[in-house]
Amino acid sequence: MRRFAHTIIATAVLLNLCAAASAELLFPPPEFESDYVMPNTTTPHPHQDVYEYVDVAVLFIALSLASYLVLKRRSRRATFVLMVSSLIYFGFWRKGCVCPIGAIQNVTLSVFDNTYAVPIAVLLFFLLPLVFTLFFGRVFCAAVCPLGAIQDIVLVRPLSVPYWFASGLRLIAYLYLALAVLFAATGSAFLICRYDPFVAFFRFSGNVSILIIGVCFLLVGLFVGRPYCRFFCPYGVILRQLSRFSKWRVTITPDECIQCRLCEDSCPFGAIRSPAVEWPAVEYAKAKRRIAFLIILLPVLIALCGWAGSRIENVTSRMHSTVRLAERIYLEEAGEFTDTTDPGTAFRATGETIESLYQRASVIRNKFILGGWLLGAFMGFVIAVKLAAVSVWRKRADYEADRAGCIACGRCFKYCPQEHLRLSKIKEGVR
Amino acid sequence: MVSTDNNNSPAHRGSDAQVVGPFYKSAWVTALIGAIFSIVILTLIVANYVQGSVREARLKKRLEAMKIELTANPADEQALADRIRLCDLEFRRSRLPRPNFTRTGAFLLLGSLAVFVLGIKWAHTIKKKMPIPQSEQAGVAEQGRQASLARWSIAAGLALAALVALVLVLIPKVDFSVTDAADASYPTREEIYRNWHRFRGPEGAGVTADANIPTDWDGKSGRGILWKTKVPVMGNNSPIVWGDRVFVSGGDANHLNVFCFDADSGDLLWTGDVRRTLPKSKDEEFKVMEDTGYAASTMATDGKRVYAIFITGDLGCFDFSGRNLWTKSLGIPDNTYGYASSLEVFRNLVIVQYDQGDAESGKSRLFAFDGFSGRAVWQAKRPVANSWSSPIVAQTETGIQIIAAADPNVMAFDPNTGAEIWRAECLAGDIAASPIYTKGLTFVVEPYSKIAAIRTDGKGDVTKTHIAWSVDEPGPDICTPVTDGKFLFVLTSDGLEMCFDAADGKKLWEAELKEDFFASPSLVGENLYLLTEKGVMIIAEAMPRHKELARCELGEKCHASPAFANGRIYIRGVENLYCIGLK
Repeated sequence: MRRFAHTIIATAVLLNLCAAASAELLFPPPEFESDYVMPNTTTPHPHQDVYEYVDVAVLFIALSLASYLVLKRRSRRATFVLMVSSLIYFGFWRKGCVCPIGAIQNVTLSVFDNTYAVPIAVLLFFLLPLVFTLFFGRVFCAAVCPLGAIQDIVLVRPLSVPYWFASGLRLIAYLYLALAVLFAATGSAFLICRYDPFVAFFRFSGNVSILIIGVCFLLVGLFVGRPYCRFFCPYGVILRQLSRFSKWRVTITPDECIQCRLCEDSCPFGAIRSPAVEWPAVEYAKAKRRIAFLIILLPVLIALCGWAGSRIENVTSRMHSTVRLAERIYLEEAGEFTDTTDPGTAFRATGETIESLYQRASVIRNKFILGGWLLGAFMGFVIAVKLAAVSVWRKRADYEADRAGCIACGRCFKYCPQEHLRLSKIKEGVR
Repeated sequence: MVSTDNNNSPAHRGSDAQVVGPFYKSAWVTALIGAIFSIVILTLIVANYVQGSVREARLKKRLEAMKIELTANPADEQALADRIRLCDLEFRRSRLPRPNFTRTGAFLLLGSLAVFVLGIKWAHTIKKKMPIPQSEQAGVAEQGRQASLARWSIAAGLALAALVALVLVLIPKVDFSVTDAADASYPTREEIYRNWHRFRGPEGAGVTADANIPTDWDGKSGRGILWKTKVPVMGNNSPIVWGDRVFVSGGDANHLNVFCFDADSGDLLWTGDVRRTLPKSKDEEFKVMEDTGYAASTMATDGKRVYAIFITGDLGCFDFSGRNLWTKSLGIPDNTYGYASSLEVFRNLVIVQYDQGDAESGKSRLFAFDGFSGRAVWQAKRPVANSWSSPIVAQTETGIQIIAAADPNVMAFDPNTGAEIWRAECLAGDIAASPIYTKGLTFVVEPYSKIAAIRTDGKGDVTKTHIAWSVDEPGPDICTPVTDGKFLFVLTSDGLEMCFDAADGKKLWEAELKEDFFASPSLVGENLYLLTEKGVMIIAEAMPRHKELARCELGEKCHASPAFANGRIYIRGVENLYCIGLK
């Protein structure tokens, strides 16, 4: 009876909301058909600076709280509540902007373009999570990042992504980071913001294609833990490397590991490393030869990938509006198009000569050639280092949270019997 | 709800035992309702989006069609305007509620998805899967296998990236440095000679090399008429032709329009509006002579863009799809009968002869605008009075010159810089006929009194040195002469036709046609095509004397000169545009 009542109430509430939706169609807003007086155009006041600093303060508090809850309290539930709060504030309330992930581009642009000054709040948004990661691990990912939070919430039935497959997929995040830096450095586009898959949800509006990408991420996220964070997030790439050196970090057990193995499947992000034994002598010799080969391969890969990166400037440079405009104008003038575009019309109105436009576009293309070299070299370096990293043997005595991969969510705490022991001791102490 | 702390204790290791709370099914039902509701909302949002998009696309199309119809049938303006308003209202009614609906739907969807996720999470919390450690793996072997697979996985990533890079490299690149931008932006001489790109065709000569130009048609019966289309707004300018497009302009007190017609069917493809510059005050009230009209100047094209200038001094540029690329106001010209000089193009430049006031006023200019952007590339001062003749680009033996005639100077300019090359002070009066060029000589006429030839190889003031010949004969006041290189044919507006030896100006014959002419004569092969004001084309043998071969009636008055292209003749009557030729 009670169950039936619950069902009825839930259905009634939802149907009531449905009626509101249809009412929108039945009673559209008033039209301009009669005696409509056009309102005076108003310019909204600029966003007050103080809000930016409020955001920074909230970020600082959230990071501090996350560090305390994860490392000191070891409370998954409290961490989850903080994560939901961050999602509501930074995601739905602040519409996903500013975020440290996108701030990478502001910082990059300020480095390469001396006419651009990065706002102090944006700089702090970029730096604070990095500093906290150096001290407390990836607490930003755990409970502050709205992009991570929305994925974490929808995770219903986590499936394990094999270690080897995840190793390959993670290359995407490095490439994404490299491209984002390249496009920001050349003043072409803020790629991360343009293709933020979740911002459309936060703002209740957005490009249909981005919305579809976001929906796809969430659908995958039902079964794969935080797919964007693990395999795409460019900021995650930086946090991963910094968290290797963090002073304090999450440990699965609050005490000594008793090798019960209860935690080995507890992490939906595949960030728990099993104990590893010594290499047999034969394998060790083979591994040494492999490492030597990979060290020789390193400069070759850097050079080859750099060269390949420089060769694709014909495509990458099109991200820059000037190059796109110049190409379009060129094709229009060559008779490939019989119509024009709005940017083309606007350009013609400036009176600038085509030659001048082509010259500007050529200069930008040259930047992309250099940028392509650096991008490719970076990717070559990353690939070579990753190949070496998976070939190096690390001896482990206990089950451990992976230094780079652990996002400090705290899911594994309750799987550890030692944790239960600790909690019961605290309880008794309270009594 | 729920499991106890003991559920995770080592005591339960390896056990399948699961504790199910009393609300397990309720949780699932909540999740199910959330899912169904989400699907319903999502379907409504998508349906609203699709329905709105389809409906709005249809309405937009209808709206555009009606706007074109409005231009084509200005007589129905009131009725059409009402229909357009209704359609626009319908469009807005469809458009405005959509974002609100979508926004509300988005909130509901968010809510229902939250219900769905909460339901599922609730259910999983109630019926929690206990940790079941697998059997011990073969330590080193398994770790070695994982490492090996990871290496392959990374290598596969590298291979994939290389493949993508290869595909990207193969995407064609626009190389700005290979092709000279200027070369790409203007037509070749051959292209110009295949078309009729300005008033009286290439070099403004009124000569066509087409051998298969029609010699027989009748407007009343429709014989030989390929198509006939009403031009929505009147104008006295002549048609120009490029490829499968025919362009004319038209204007009245309310509209300054460019019309593009399909050369094969006569369909009006698009109408371009040129923004009119209004006088700054009532003192400058603008009066237009009826005979001149708002659009007496013939347009010009470089094959990619078309240019039109109107009596108000408003210059407009359109691409071939009808998009207005730029407009420019040169200021309302100080011109006795109203501005009527036609445009010329040289490479990427559109040349405007803008003669105003008297010779001493210093107002007259020759402008060269970049066809691409409308930027003024150069302008040359001309010490001449207002005129109605048009400039020509002449391929002389000493280089390309822009030659323009007015009272009192005939002047030549460097087309690249606008620098004056030579001038001859030899004309007076209201100069309407344009200069023509052949074999080192430029022929000019002074209305009612003089016909002259000037050698074009001079520099500076050539008045005393380079006037090859000058005869005191009644030069035409409107029509431009035509020459085949050997003979010069001149036609006055009251029908006096004369032939001179181009080399020395000796008059060879004259004929009284007893017709009025506004259109300039054209030379097709060895025959003259003379279009009377009544719309009768007199086709006559030019040499050794005037011998009429045929008369073809259009049935409509004509003030414009015909255009010849691709074996067809395009004639603009006072109301209709005609295409004469074979289907």
